[in-house]
Amino acid sequence: MNVLRWWWSLVLTFALLALLRVFVPLPFANEIMIFSIYTVGCNFLLGRVGFISFGQPAYLAVGAYAAAFYFYYFGTNPYVGILIGVVAGIGVSLAVGPLFVRLRSDYFALVNLALAVIIYYFMQKVLVDITHGDNGLWFLTNLSSTPVLDLTRPDEFFVFALLVGFVVWAFYKYLDDTIYGACCLGSKINEDKLKFLGYNNYSIRLVAFVIANTTTALAGAMYAVYLGFVSPEITSPTRAADPVIVTILGGVGTLYGPIVGAIAYTGMKDVLSKVLGNWELVIGFLLVFIMLAGEKGIWGTLEPLLLKAFRRAPAPGAAGESKVGGR
Amino acid sequence: MDIQLLTSGITFGLSLGSIFFLMTIGLSLCFGLMRVISLDQLLYYSVGGYITYSVSLLIGNLWLGVLAGMAVGGILGFAVERLVFMRIYERDITFSMITSFGILIGGVGVIKFFWGLVPRPVPVPIDSQIDILGTDIPVYRLVVVAIALLVYGGIWLFLNRTIIGKAIRAGIEDVEHVEGLGINVYRLFSITFIMAGALSGLAGGLHAPLIMVDPQMGLEVLAFAFMIVIIGGLGSIKGTLISSFLVGQVVSLGSLVYAPLAQMAPFVLMLLILLLKPTGLYGSPLLKR
Repeated sequence: MNVLRWWWSLVLTFALLALLRVFVPLPFANEIMIFSIYTVGCNFLLGRVGFISFGQPAYLAVGAYAAAFYFYYFGTNPYVGILIGVVAGIGVSLAVGPLFVRLRSDYFALVNLALAVIIYYFMQKVLVDITHGDNGLWFLTNLSSTPVLDLTRPDEFFVFALLVGFVVWAFYKYLDDTIYGACCLGSKINEDKLKFLGYNNYSIRLVAFVIANTTTALAGAMYAVYLGFVSPEITSPTRAADPVIVTILGGVGTLYGPIVGAIAYTGMKDVLSKVLGNWELVIGFLLVFIMLAGEKGIWGTLEPLLLKAFRRAPAPGAAGESKVGGR
Repeated sequence: MDIQLLTSGITFGLSLGSIFFLMTIGLSLCFGLMRVISLDQLLYYSVGGYITYSVSLLIGNLWLGVLAGMAVGGILGFAVERLVFMRIYERDITFSMITSFGILIGGVGVIKFFWGLVPRPVPVPIDSQIDILGTDIPVYRLVVVAIALLVYGGIWLFLNRTIIGKAIRAGIEDVEHVEGLGINVYRLFSITFIMAGALSGLAGGLHAPLIMVDPQMGLEVLAFAFMIVIIGGLGSIKGTLISSFLVGQVVSLGSLVYAPLAQMAPFVLMLLILLLKPTGLYGSPLLKR
């Protein structure tokens, strides 16, 4: 029963996402899947560890370029490419993490942004012989088909993205239940107390940093496979705040916030840019409104309401318990 | 390196540094006094640029346009302070960072709505050039540097010689104490915000003839603004001045050595300084309130 209760929300969410495929065009659905995986790392950093990161594109680019180099120069198997992207993500976050996680939250945001800019110019100008600068690397035709899930076909890519998303979300849900997850939250809320309890603040943050950025690198590698091309645009400083915006829109620290945020953000970008021509206006003021209204975000507001509605009907046990508690 | 190139490079760096200084002084002051990161200053910078463009197109005088840009920047700053920042002074720093970023993005949308997407050129008011060490230097760039230095002097006098300025300085040290002395700190906050907005507007207006005004201009300098306040130390005016000129020179001279360096070198500089001195050059070890 407990096992079921643990899994049902995950299964339900991803079933709904699969259903989404019927209603929206395929590229849009794929974009949402990758974008939510991209954002979940930022959400974890901001909601669980209290680090606001304006530099997520840096790790996205690391994953994307690692995969792109593999496809362009070495091999053809998309799965290997994604794996290489993930490994590169782990490598880079382990290399810069020890320096970055010592910094305070606001400074952390800035050095991360600096890293994104440095990688941007590295890819655009310094390594131009390998990366072909602004033209980017095109390798769509280099990708080979695999017998089971053929990632070169968008519809099968969606199934793959769905599966990856499921695993990622199961992992983050599991993290929330562990003592480690509690420690992360502790380091956000009360650092001193955590130290007092004998935990090493630094290593908790480092592990969180590596986990989050590896997820982001995974999203980057998936972008590379899906689009079949990578250019420095992916890490451009003007897009640095995208994941933060999506995180806030969805609801900071909620498990499904990134998915809801990604749907809302991509949807608004698509629809509003056609209707209004400037969706920044809406996104910006929505952000301000959400922050002033209690920074809960879309999912953070909806979740308690939905839970309440569900609890009332099918689970009388739970409702009964809370009633007893109330008395 | 050839001396002519060097002279023009240094002048370019000085004028760029001046713009950076005017643009970030507001951010720095707001952080120092109110402990908020007010990224919306970059919106007033863009608005200042656009007002300057419109007014100078209408009247034909750039200086009036700059003044109008300053006024609008100040008014906008005041309005945003009353509507938004009043509600979030007690919150965490990250909170104000995200909220003001929302204002910036929304404001960019408003600018696109009014002025369209196309970058617009603004005529340079002073065409003449002056001969320094055998190099022709546009006088306008020197004027910009002079204005920035004047503003620095003005701010210094204001903070050290007037009673309001002294109260603001005291507030940067310890806001509760100032409140205890019977000074209305919220009025100080508003004054600081108006000043910051006006100076950001001034920066945008002065920068407009050197670049083209375009809706993204505030976002493009976002990374530089961040960097300058970090290098100088958040909250320190002297630090902001020094780091603006430092970054201006690094950008300008770096691009002479190797073009991509222009964008990257300042970030490397920032990383180094942060690793050596995590509070920036002149930042005090700040305690979060």
